[in-house]
Amino acid sequence: MSSETQSFKGVGTPTTRMYGLMAVVALGWVFLGGLFFTPEDAVQGDAVRIMYVHVPTAWVAYLAFIVTGIASACWLIGKKHSMGFDRVAGASAEVGVLFMAMTLLSGSLWGRITWGTFWVWDPRLTTTAFLFVTYLGYLAVRGLGGTAEQRARRSSVIALLAVLEIPLVHFSVVLWRSLHQRATVLSPDGDIKMDGLMLFTLLFGVFGFTVLFAWLVSHRQRIMAMQDAQQITALDAAVTERLKEVQE
Amino acid sequence: MDLTPRTSPDNAPLAPRKHNHKWKYVAMLVVVVSAGGFIVSQFLTSAIDFYCNVDEIGKREGCEPNRRLRVQGTVEQDSLKSDSGSTTFVLIFNNQTVDVRYNGDPGGIFQECIPVVAHGQLVGDTFEANRIEVKHSNTYSEANPDRLTQSKAEQCSLLAG
Repeated sequence: MSSETQSFKGVGTPTTRMYGLMAVVALGWVFLGGLFFTPEDAVQGDAVRIMYVHVPTAWVAYLAFIVTGIASACWLIGKKHSMGFDRVAGASAEVGVLFMAMTLLSGSLWGRITWGTFWVWDPRLTTTAFLFVTYLGYLAVRGLGGTAEQRARRSSVIALLAVLEIPLVHFSVVLWRSLHQRATVLSPDGDIKMDGLMLFTLLFGVFGFTVLFAWLVSHRQRIMAMQDAQQITALDAAVTERLKEVQE
Repeated sequence: MDLTPRTSPDNAPLAPRKHNHKWKYVAMLVVVVSAGGFIVSQFLTSAIDFYCNVDEIGKREGCEPNRRLRVQGTVEQDSLKSDSGSTTFVLIFNNQTVDVRYNGDPGGIFQECIPVVAHGQLVGDTFEANRIEVKHSNTYSEANPDRLTQSKAEQCSLLAG
């Protein structure tokens, strides 16, 4: 087997394998702790267990969109316009959309049990839906075609505008009257009103899903790099072939 | 140098033409922009003023008693009654109350001393609700029957504003 073939065997590295292992361990605890070891909530009962997925996925979606914004800014500002930044931005947005969908789905189920409805057009849910749709639009714009540089330029401008929605979503429960409860862990008064084991499991969930995000983005951006390289190789081969024909 | 795709003598492409995915993304963008417009319209018409508090009925703009309202308050302790398929209770906020009647059982975690948003209209002195949404707090504590009974009245008065 040639070394070239070997290099395409996979996109894993020791670092990504470490991310993967850490995610499995942390999410294993969240699964066991969330379902079996943490207590029922005094008001919500077992429905509170949805929180161990809902809150971490929302946090990771925010993080993913912030990473997309930062990577896009780096691409725009950088003199070399390194395509690595654009790939990280795209990969992070894809993973962010996935996690945001999980947030909306888990929140909808939680809402059905506690509020009595899957969906209401209240400020938090409405702004979150808008954020989700914005990043779907971002991904659509990335797929519109053109050169890699054109793709990077237009999508980075959208990413820098879209990231401004995150504070609006987070503070929507403070700015407007919402059915959605206010923040517990990041409450402005710093008083975390949550049972110790519940809080521990929730924070472990945040850690686990964050590591999972890092693992997914690492792999995805490496796959994107390989796809870009494949396109360049194919173009180079076509040019070489035509040159040979001209010389003949 | 000419790099246009090669064609056969009968002008058919030699290699299968690469499927153009661009239109898939254009269609996705159209759907996204439409969905975004719909969400913004919902935000402007529903989300900004999601509810009126009990004490604002007839006092705040948008909370006129002759229109359909969403009213927020806490279910007053010892006011909850279920009779022949309908549920009645008193909603309290900032020491102002309104009687609420709901046809059916609100279900879920609906109970006394919990904040709710009732959708409906005032008919006389009673708020006829056709939808009840429970507003749970940002406090998460272990279920403990003794502690719950002890603190329930205190919690109820706090939530009532």
